Amino acid sequence: MILLVAVVAGTIAGWGIARWKRQTWHPPSFQSLWLVFLGFLPQFIVFYLPVTRQLVTDDLASLSLVCSQVILMIFAWKNLHLSGMPVLIFGLGCNLVVILVNGGFMPLVAETAARIVEPHVMDRLVIGARLGKASKDILLPESQILLPWLADRFISPKLSSYRAVYSLGDVFVAVGAFWMLANRHSTTAPSVGDSL
Amino acid sequence: MKNTLSQIVLFTSKFNKTHLQFIMMLLALTMLVLGAGAPEDIGGVGK
Repeated sequence: MILLVAVVAGTIAGWGIARWKRQTWHPPSFQSLWLVFLGFLPQFIVFYLPVTRQLVTDDLASLSLVCSQVILMIFAWKNLHLSGMPVLIFGLGCNLVVILVNGGFMPLVAETAARIVEPHVMDRLVIGARLGKASKDILLPESQILLPWLADRFISPKLSSYRAVYSLGDVFVAVGAFWMLANRHSTTAPSVGDSL
Repeated sequence: MKNTLSQIVLFTSKFNKTHLQFIMMLLALTMLVLGAGAPEDIGGVGK
């Protein structure tokens, strides 16, 4: 959800700046677009599709997450020339490293979760286990997390009952995506279809 | 009926290659950020 805000905000900002400067806004032109579909597919099956995620074991989910992020990293690397992409790659790298060193899932700092989750909900969560079949996170105390500063530990502002806990890598992913879209106003940039 | 059909034809003629490219780019970038990021949404159960 918080990552989608960056995409929407970047689109609006890029389009708005281009309009203000009386230029044409061109969306980024991706190379090897098929890689992003291939990379996202395992996560879609394992975390997003309700029918299939119930059937997947934690081991397979972990393997799918890592493979998916590696493929997305290759896609991002092939599109390194786009503004904002180096920042996004750095964020993806941070997330991938902390996932790899902590057993294949993103660690969620238990002390952080306890600050925003109701006690009766917190009591049902198990240390060392995933938060749910739709979650990429495992709940761990900070002392048991390797590279704890790269874990999910920052809390979104309290604007509604919706809250999110995010990592430093997520911040870089969001900033990279925003920058990629907001900085696309020129009259000479190629259109996205040139590389499809 | 004829009016509706003409409106559909008009809409599809305006929906050109550029629009399709924009949708594909947005879809690809959305998948990239969702796949690259790993925030934990705690909707509705927060304090």
